Order: sequence, then structure tokens, then C-alpha cells
Amino acid sequence: MAALLRPARWLLRAAAAPYLPLSLRLLAGGPGRPHAALCLRAARARPVAGGLLSQARLHSIAAEKKNYLQEEPTSSHRRNASQFDWALMRLDNSVRRTGRIPKTLLQKVFDNTCHSGSAGGNQALLLLRSCGSLLPELKLSERTEFAHKIWDELQKLGTVYDVSHYNALLKVYLQNDHKFSPTDFLAKMEKGNIQPNRVTYQRLIAAYCNMGDIEGASTILGFMKTKDLPVTEAVFSALVTGHARSGDMENAENILTVMKEAGIEPGPDTYLALLNAYAEKGDIDHVKQTLEKVEKSDLYLMDRDLLQIILSFSKAGYPQYVPEILEKITYERRYIPDTMNLILLLVTEKLEDTALQILLACPISRESSQNDFGSFFLRHCVTMNTPAEKLKDYCKKLKEAQLHTSPLQFTLQCALVAQKLDLAKVLMKALKEEGFPIRTHYFWPLLVGHQKEKNVQGIVEVLKGMHEIGVTPDQETYVNYVFPCFDSIKSVRAVLQENGCPHDDNVFSQAELRSKAVNGNLDYILSFLESNTLPFSFSSLRGSLILGFRRSMNINLWSKITELLYKDGRYCQEPPGPTEAVGYFLYNLIDSMSDSEVQAKEEHLRQYFHQLKEMNVKIPENIYRGIRNLLDSYHVPELIKDVNILVEREKTDSRKPSSSDLESKLEKLKAENQPIGDILKQLILMLCSEENMQKALELKAKYESDMVVGGYAALINLCCRHDNAEDALNLKREFDRLDSSAVLDTGKYVRLVKVLGKHGKLQDAINILKEMKEKDVLVKDATVLSFFHILNGAALRGETETVKQLHEAIVTLGLAKPSTTLSSPLVTLYLEKDDLPAALESTIDCYEKYKILPRIHDVLCKLIEKGETELIQKAMDFVSQEQGEMTMLYDLFFAFLQTGNYKEAKKIIEVETLEKLVEMTQKLFECDRDQLYYSLLKLYKVNDDWQKADAVWNKMQEENIIPREKTLRLLAEILRNNNQEVPFDVPELWYEEEKDCPTSLPSPVEVNLQQGLLNACHRRRNKDAFNIFLTAKKQNIVFDNETYARLINLLLMKDNSTQAMQVKDFAETHIKGFTLNDAANSLLIITQVRRDYLKDALTTLKTALDLDQIPSRLAVTRLIQACALKGDTESIHDIQKLVNGLEDSIGLSRMVFINNIALAQIKNNNIDVAIESIENMLTSENQTVDPQYFGLAYLFRKVIEGQLEPALEKISIMAERLANQFAVYKPVTDLFLQLVDSGKVDDARALLQRCGAIAEQMPILLVFCIRNSQRPGKAPVMKSLLELIPELIDKEEAYTCLMKSYVFDNDVTSAKALYESLTAKNVKLNDLFLKRYAVLLKNAGESVPFTEPPESFEFYAKQLKESKETHL
Amino acid sequence: MAASAARGAMALRTNIGRPVAFVRKIPWTAASGELREHFAQFGHVRKCTVPFDKETGFHKGMGWIHFSSEEELHNALQQENHIIDGVKDLKELNWNSITSTNFIHSDVF
Repeated sequence: MAALLRPARWLLRAAAAPYLPLSLRLLAGGPGRPHAALCLRAARARPVAGGLLSQARLHSIAAEKKNYLQEEPTSSHRRNASQFDWALMRLDNSVRRTGRIPKTLLQKVFDNTCHSGSAGGNQALLLLRSCGSLLPELKLSERTEFAHKIWDELQKLGTVYDVSHYNALLKVYLQNDHKFSPTDFLAKMEKGNIQPNRVTYQRLIAAYCNMGDIEGASTILGFMKTKDLPVTEAVFSALVTGHARSGDMENAENILTVMKEAGIEPGPDTYLALLNAYAEKGDIDHVKQTLEKVEKSDLYLMDRDLLQIILSFSKAGYPQYVPEILEKITYERRYIPDTMNLILLLVTEKLEDTALQILLACPISRESSQNDFGSFFLRHCVTMNTPAEKLKDYCKKLKEAQLHTSPLQFTLQCALVAQKLDLAKVLMKALKEEGFPIRTHYFWPLLVGHQKEKNVQGIVEVLKGMHEIGVTPDQETYVNYVFPCFDSIKSVRAVLQENGCPHDDNVFSQAELRSKAVNGNLDYILSFLESNTLPFSFSSLRGSLILGFRRSMNINLWSKITELLYKDGRYCQEPPGPTEAVGYFLYNLIDSMSDSEVQAKEEHLRQYFHQLKEMNVKIPENIYRGIRNLLDSYHVPELIKDVNILVEREKTDSRKPSSSDLESKLEKLKAENQPIGDILKQLILMLCSEENMQKALELKAKYESDMVVGGYAALINLCCRHDNAEDALNLKREFDRLDSSAVLDTGKYVRLVKVLGKHGKLQDAINILKEMKEKDVLVKDATVLSFFHILNGAALRGETETVKQLHEAIVTLGLAKPSTTLSSPLVTLYLEKDDLPAALESTIDCYEKYKILPRIHDVLCKLIEKGETELIQKAMDFVSQEQGEMTMLYDLFFAFLQTGNYKEAKKIIEVETLEKLVEMTQKLFECDRDQLYYSLLKLYKVNDDWQKADAVWNKMQEENIIPREKTLRLLAEILRNNNQEVPFDVPELWYEEEKDCPTSLPSPVEVNLQQGLLNACHRRRNKDAFNIFLTAKKQNIVFDNETYARLINLLLMKDNSTQAMQVKDFAETHIKGFTLNDAANSLLIITQVRRDYLKDALTTLKTALDLDQIPSRLAVTRLIQACALKGDTESIHDIQKLVNGLEDSIGLSRMVFINNIALAQIKNNNIDVAIESIENMLTSENQTVDPQYFGLAYLFRKVIEGQLEPALEKISIMAERLANQFAVYKPVTDLFLQLVDSGKVDDARALLQRCGAIAEQMPILLVFCIRNSQRPGKAPVMKSLLELIPELIDKEEAYTCLMKSYVFDNDVTSAKALYESLTAKNVKLNDLFLKRYAVLLKNAGESVPFTEPPESFEFYAKQLKESKETHL
Repeated sequence: MAASAARGAMALRTNIGRPVAFVRKIPWTAASGELREHFAQFGHVRKCTVPFDKETGFHKGMGWIHFSSEEELHNALQQENHIIDGVKDLKELNWNSITSTNFIHSDVF
């Protein structure tokens, strides 16, 4: 086999063969050798799934080696390499998955490459190679254009092209049927100073042959001949094609004979060329015959080849023969991508009928209901503008064949995405015919395209199309997709009329109304409703009205509009009538608002309800109840009574007795002297629900002696709702007198506290709180929230004493914990008054009392706004002293952001822009990215920049951040305010969550510090990390186990064992059972050894082993070696005992102990003991180590290095004795080699003379060679070795290693000498050797005296390896 | 930072157990009207949203159905497959059992 690997020097000797045409005469010649076929196996590899990239990968490895050899600046190399990896991965994935590359992906990789400013050779190669058959979705000409664009652009970027690039370009030309002039191409190469190689010529021949230009092909063949290049099967195959295309089928067939004569058996490629030639001629008979012939031979055509034949038939206009070939296809799963690609290619080539034929023949499982295999075909047909009628037909066929569940819908979707109106119309009509509904939103994608370009004509076309299909545009269509294209709605109407575009006035007007409402233009809405003559339902208006109301604060307009709707015959008169409709409208209005919005607009709403009352607007009671519940949940129960006045009393429950009925009944009972307790309570409750406080109080006064607890409770609540503190308090007292042990429910207590506080009855309010505590009233989370609302309301009203005293009482009574939320009103109080010093004081006071800093952010913001530098300083000093500098910086940073002081904010984090800041902090702040984004969003809200807000939303997804609800709500608010669709459901805040967290979670300071530390570790910033540790330590903050472990690892890696131990000690004393892991302990051992703390290292080893850890081999070896150098035999023995039984797990060889114990003994001047024990081991009966593996090289080297002359002498004697008396040659050979290695050539020579057997220890010598050839700077050693043992040169391994060493050390002279001596001996040199030598010469600027093997290093290395395996 | 927590709290609103179903894989041919129609068989649909992407004119294949009651939601969730337009399965997730934050973490967005 070895012969096969020799450089192909097969020369075609022209022989007279007159009956053959020119090319064949050139080919005819000497007996071929089978090796040609071997070359061709590789050539057959085509860029199919995986192929392209595996080639590229090989190339990249080779190129990287080259770079290494040339010692290029590594940084740029590395950058390119990572870029290359990225591109490779993207393209590789695509090819692996689908066997093709989408154009967009290639474009993206290309753009990215250009953007990076430089492209390595590999990257260029990868891009170029992708421009051929891997792009079946692109027209052939477009692919070549793309390749040229890449070529030119990369050249501009400074990419240097070599022959591989030119060859890749040629391949692309061939795959794309690109017509070009091969001579021009060669000229171009020449101009670029690139030597064409065999592959180049081969492809140029193929190019000529594809054009049917045999003469041209012959010229190239002539070139190849003069250059002694081997002719491969690929050339023969090309010639088959060439003759066929020149119309000479006879000679095409003859090529096979010629090949055989030349000793090359035609392989599948040749047959495929012939088959394609027949197919192009439409000669099905010959195709069949040839296929049979191939079947009978031991050759095998793959599905891919058969697909190729189908392509040839189709392209040549013989689709009728396709089915016959299809029959032969086996449809192996792995060829499905190939089949798909052929289908795509055929569609691209406008042979979609054939494509469909193949698609229908695909054996895809059809049972599954979700089978939409045909999608790729339909989509591509749409892209390639396949006629609509054809597509309709295809859809039908795919559906029938169960290759698609909904082909028409899918195709329509593709047409819409591609904005193809005409096609879309045809498809929609087809859908309609099949009974599918055509929906308005189908037209939106079409409108979107025109809307972006403000293309009025386009919009009109689509609207006309809608009419044609019979779809009427709805409100949303106008508002979202039509109006934005125009300056005014008036002009929309005009344009539509002008263009004869029919539109429903009703819908149009509603749309107009909606778009005005969105802008809060209530004036317009009112006048529209007044003047409107169109009949439309109220429900269609409701959404727009609510939007409009919320965007305008003109209550008079609110009322007027409501009144109009209520009373005007045009609007709400149909059943269920205006009461219901308006009531429901009010409910929806409040429901659509958030709680904070309702709270903020409380007065407006009250005014509104009262105006409605005056207008005699009424709502049904059940809807009132719904509104009441809403208001309750929004914490604005004060509004309930204001809505209550609207309730339609007349209609309420005719079944139930009215209050007057009850009252007369009560009086009757009283008169009869019967018990009235029950009926009195019933009446009071009814009056309460009617919010009739006056009457209820009168009744109570009248029948006071008959009152029961339940009646009082309801009355108290009623009074609270009506803000009647006086009566509420009196009632409460009467209630207590009635039954001092009676307990109200929590809500009623809270309302009492609220109303009493509001009316300055502080002591009474506090008494209620005390009672709550005493009576152990259940305090729920909602209660705590209510407390907050009470305090906050008081703070907003500026009631300092109320806030302070109630807060104090709540906290000291223990009704609620002094959380940030609960305490914030203490600060709000002063913030509202703009009393910043007091606000800051109050925050600080809270910290001192409760360790919380309420509203520090808002305080800081205000301080910044007012420019209160001294107070800012004070605040910052306080925060940084109490919570650390980091927290202070966060706080300040966010405050600057909030107040729009970007410059200052920037200064804090020192980055270019705000967005960049967020980007850059991605790793640093990951503890609370959401908070950061939240602040950013707040800023965007201030600037009303919804686009940026939307971008934040996307970025958060990219970063996989889980936004908090408040962030989502803020984002939704920004989007809504700008009339944008909110792409997610806006969550309601969950009270419980917020409340439950603070106790269980670590404080933000802690989290920040820990995160900061981990980040520092990640970036290997040991100093920063350690400083954070110290900061935390000072604040007595304890991190988790993992954090300390990582810090210790980092410190050890940076050789800071003292600091590492400090951390370890702290962790051990603060975390129960804290231990270092295996890796950390191993690192610790290594560090301790390096610092010469051997005892400590030994202890660490013991600790690790006690913990059942497996220390690293390196750590143990280092420790043993260090002990040996100290002469500490005992410690080595200890270690041996410690690791006993673990040697294999650690990977420790016995020889480590033997070498080091001996070394230690020698260091202790116990040379004889050392030598004796080694000798014993090697000569005793029961040897523990096979003498062949008894390597003492380490010991010898240390002895030589240490210039321990007496020891060396004795060892030498021992080694010789072992060799001469016991025939154990390993030690003496090792010694010899170590002498050579240390440059003691004379000693080595003497040893060799005394012990000639050394020269026979080939395996040992060769291992030495191989090892040394892997390190640079070993050429002199190798040379000396060769001088001492010249026989070595006969060994292939040896001279290969030698060459490798010379190449490593750039030793051209020695390499030349080696090459010459070898050639003089007629040694058959392998390709790898030659390749190395050639590269060395070329790099030195010298000419190469032979043809450089064209493939990569890897290729030959693999080849060599394979040949060795076959030898074995 | 501490202060913004307080700010959030001001806007807190207890709203637990709203019966909302989240629907995925809505075919492009269906919009909120179709969804509403389909889910009406399980109960009263208070609200149905299928947000459209104004950049493309298509919706993103997901939507939310607000039912009136827990029971109705469960009716809808009991049915394994929901087929709208005879095109594709709709898979649902109970919005209710998951907090929104968890939810966004799933593979939907």
C-alpha cells in the first residue's frame, strides 16, 4: 500500500491512437496504476450535508497550524478564529439540518464578516463555497453574482486569496453553470501570482467540457501533461460530459474504454456523467441500460445521483421520463434533504411541475394530522412567482395527497408575507369557493407594507381588493393600517372617494371616532355624536369612548357625552335600554383604569357621578354592585356612595319589600309590642346598602334599645363610607357598651381608623388600633396594605402628626412590620411639602430605627432636581457608610437616570451611552437587571419614547430576564399611552407576593455584593473580588458556600494563598461544614508547594483525602517532586501510604514514587541505598513493574541537571550492569537519551561505545524522537542523536520526526541535508514529509524541487495513519 | 432602589384567580372573533385578546381568553385539543396557576 501514497507521478505518455479524438489521444498512454482511483474517492466528496464544512474544518485546522508556525500576532488570529467558528456554526447547522443554506443566512454571515473589517482565508473560503448548489433557492446567475460580490468585497478588506479560493470559485462556477473563459481565469490567477494546481486544471477541464469545448479541455490537458500532473477520474468524467455536449455521444461512451485501458475503472461519477449525458439527450433507453449495467457491477448509485439524472431530464425538457427514475429511488431518510433541495432547485428553474411530481412521490408519513411537509415547496413557489392558477392546482394536489392539511391557507400566508396582492386575491377567491371565510385581518399584512412606505396608491389597491373579495374594512383596519398613511382622516375620505374605493360610511365614521378618541379629542366626539345620522350600536363605540375619556380630563364633556348616549334616541334605546348600557359603560370605564389611576382621578370621578345624577342618569343596581366591588378593590371605597346615588331605585327588586314597607311593618310590630330586633336590623342593613345614612341614623335613634350588634356594625361602616367620623365614633362607643367583647371585622376596624385619622381624632384612631391588638383581630396582608393607604393618604394631605402617630402605633403594637412600604409615608409627608432636609432626615431616621431606607430614590431625585449638593453629599455619605459604596452608587445612578441627568449617570458608570450602559452592565448587574430596566423604562416614560421602551422589552427577552410585574405594567403603560399594542398580557399585581418576599430574601446589599464578587471571579479580577469579600466581612455579610469556593479558587489560581486562606478561615467559621472542593484543594496544594509550604501542602492533601476527594495528579506529583528535591524520603513514603489504592483514580504511576524516592535518597547522599533498591526491583523474581516500562528518565535528568557527579557515575554503572548482566536495556537507553538531551554528547557516545545494545532499542529511541519532535527547539538534540545512531535514519518515523523538528526550528539547512541524504538513498518519502519540507522551503523563499502535495497537512497525516493501519 | 418598591406598592391591587386561559399556536387565519366563538362553548367569554404585530400585520399566534368563572376556564382546559379553522391544535396553559413572571420565562416569548 505504501506505494500508493507516494506522490502521484503518473505520467501520461501519449501513444499513437489515431482513431481517437484529440483528448483521448492525450489520455491514452501507459498502464495506469490503481492509485488513480484512490485519489478520486476524495474527489467525489461533494458539498452535501456536512461535506462542505468538514472540508472547511480540515482546512481551518491546517491554516491555524500554518499561522502558528509563522507566529502571526495571535490576537488578530484569535479574533478571526472565533468569528470563523461563529460563521461556521451557523452555516454548518443549516447544512446539517437541511442540506442547504438560506440566502438570508449567508447574507448575514457575509455582512457580519464585512462588518468585522477583516476576513481570514478560511472564512472567505467558507463563504465562497456556500455560493453553489447549497443555495437551491437562488437562481444560478444570482448565486454566481453573490460569489463575485463576496470575492470583491473580501478582497477590498484585504483577504489574501490562495489557490484554494480560486478553486472554490471554479467549483461555484461549475455548480452554477456559469459561462466564463477559462483562459481569462488562468490569466487572473497569474496576475494574482497564484500557481494553479491539479484541482484547478481539473475544474477548468470540466468548465470547457460543460460548454462542449473539447478543444479547450484538451489544451488544459496538455498543460497538465507538461506539468506531470496525474489524470483523475474527475477528468475522465468531465470528458464524458464534454463529448456528449459537443454532440459526440460515441466518443463520450468511448471514454470509459479509454479509462479502462489506462487502468482506471470507471466509478459512479463517470457513469453518472454518462447517464446525465443520455438524459440531456432524452435517451431513456440508454439511461435504463446504463443503470442496469451499473446495478450489475459492484458500483452503487445513491439517491442523490438519481436525483441528478432527474434534474438533467427535466432541464433538457424531458419531464416525461422523470417517473421512471423516481421509481428507482429508495428514499432513504438521509436523502430527504437532497430531495427537498432538488425540488427547490426545480422551482427556481421554473420546472415546478416536475418539482411537484417529485414531492408527491416522497414517502412522507401521511397519517399524522399535522403533516405540512409540502410547505417548503409552496413557499418557494410563491417566492419564485409561480403562476397563481398553477399554485391553486398544486394546493389541491397536495391536499389530496395528504402532504398538507391547509395548503391554500398556507400559500396565502406566504403571499401575504411577500406582499403579493394579485396572488393573494386569487387564493382568497379559491378559499372562498371552498367555503372558507375570508377575514378582514387577512389584508393587514398587505396594508402594512404600503403603510410603511406611505404608499397611498398601494393602500387604495388593497382596499379595492378587499371590496373585490367582498370584505369590508373594519374599524381596526382603518385606525391601525389605513389612517397612519395619511395626514388627516379627511384626506383619507377624499382619496377613497377619488379612487372610487367603496367604503362603509358607518364603519369609517366609527374608525374616525376611534382615532379621535385615542387622541382624547372629546370635543370632536361630542359634536360627532350630536350630528351623527348613522345608526350604530353603542357597543361598537364603547371601547373608543373609554379610551377618549381616559385621555381627557374634561369632566363636563364626559358628562355631556354620557347624557347624550343615555337620552338620545339614536344610541342606547334598543333593549336592554340606556340604564343597562350606560351602567355597563361606567363599569367598563372604571375597570379599564388601574387602581392608581382611579385614586388619582377620585375627585374627577366624583364630580362626574354627581353631574350624571343631576342629569338624571341612572344605572341598574347589579351593575352598581360590580362597580362597588371594583372601587373596593382599588382602595377608594369613598367613591362608592357617589356611585350609589345613580342606582335606579324604582326597579330594584320588586319582589323584595322596600325600606318603607319594612318601616311600616316595624312600626306595626312596635305598636303591637312585639320584638322588633330582627326587622330593625334588616331595615338598617337595607338603608345601609341604599347608602341612606340620614334615615338609618334616625331609625337607630328612634329604636336605640332594640339595636343589635350587627346593626351597629353596618351603621359604623356606613358612617365611615360617608366620612362621618363623629357618628362613627359614637356608634362604636354604643356598640362597645352593648357588648364589650364584640369584635368587628378587620375591614371595619381599618375603615374606622382611616376616618378617625382623617378627622384628626388621633387618640381615638390609636385606641381602635389598640383594640385590634387586644382583640387579636386577624391582620391580613390586605390589612397591612390598607394601613399603608391610610398613612399615605394622610401624608398626601400633609397631616404630619397623623402619619407619625399612627405609624408609630401600628409598628409598636406589632400590627405590621415597619417595611419600606409602610414607612414610606413618613418620607412622603416631607417630599410632598418639598421639605427636602426633613425628608432626608426622616429616611435616615427610618434606617436608624428600622434598618430600612424608604423612598431614598425619590429623595435623591428631588435633591438632584433642586441641586441640593450638600444634602446629596449627606445622603450619599450615609448610604455608603451604612450599606456600602456599591449601593450608594446604584442609588445615585438610578436617581440621575430618573431625573434625566445622563451625564452624571454616565460619570458614575463611565460608559458611552445609556443603552450601552445597560448592555455593559449585563454581567455586572445581573442580580437585578429588571430593576435597571425598570429605571430605564421610567426614563423612557418621561421622554415618552415607546420605541426605546419596546426595544427594552426585546432586550429583556434576549437576556432571559424575567420582568417583574411592575416593569411589565410600566412598559404596558408607555406602549398604551402611545397607542401601541401591548404584546403581552398586563399582569395585575399580586399583593401577597410583594409582601411575602422581604423577610425571606437576602437584602439587596447582600445580593449585590455577592453578585459583584461572583462577577469579579468570573472576570478573574482577584483583587476586586477579594476587596468585595473584605467589604462584606466588615458588614458581617455571609455569602453562600459556592461563592467562597469560587473566590478561593480564583485566589489560588492567582497564587494568593494567604488571601485564599483568609477567605477559607472566614468561610469555615461562618458556614457550618464549609469545605473546599477537590479542585480547590488541588490548587491549594500546588500553591503551597510553589511557596514551599510542604508541610501545609501535605496537611491539605490529608484533609482532601479524608473528605474522600480525589486530588489532581498534578498536585500530588508536584508535592512528591518537591519532597524529593528536599530529600524528604519520609514524606514521600507518607504520601504513598495516603494515596494507596487511589493511584489509578489519580492517575499516578508507581514510577513517580520510585524515581522520587531514589532522588530523595540521592539528595540525602544515600546513593547506594537508592541504587540498590532500584536494582532489586529490576532483578527480583516478582517484579512490580515491567522492565520495559521502568522509566527512570526523570531521575536521570534531575541527577544530570543537579550535576550530582558521584551519583551519576554510580547510576551509570548500575544501568550498564543491568544491561550487561541482566539484559535489562531500558535504564541504560534512558540514561543515554538523557545525556543526549542535556547536550552531553561525548558522555553519551562513550556510554554507547560501552553498551552497543543501546542502538538496538528502537522502540525506546523512536518514542524519544516522537516526543521531542512535538516540542520546538529540539532540532539540535535530534541531530546529535542521529549522528550517534545513524541507523535511525532508515526508520520512517525517525526521519519524519526529524523533518518535523527542523520545520519547527526553521532549520532549512539541516532539512535540505536530510532530504538529500534520503533521496540519495532512494528512500520513498511520504507525502506528509514532502508537504512539510515544501512548506518550509516556501516560507524561506526557496524553490521546491518537486511538486508540492496539494492537499492539507491533515489530509496526509490521515492518509499516513490509514496506510499504517492497513499494514498492520 | 428601596423607594421604588414603595412606589410599586401604591399601585398594588389584589386580583387573584382571574380565570384566564392562555392560548398558543393560533393559526394565522383566526383572530379574536374566531377564538371568542370557539371558546364560547365553554362559558361566557368576558374578553378575548389576540394582539397583532403592527410591523407585520400578522398576530403572533397567541392570545388570552378571559372567562367569567373558574369553572368555565376548567371546562375549556379539560378539552385536550382545540381545533380552530380545522387547522391546528391550540394548546392552552392556565394563566391562573402560574404567575405571570413564571410564565414569561416559558418558551412562549
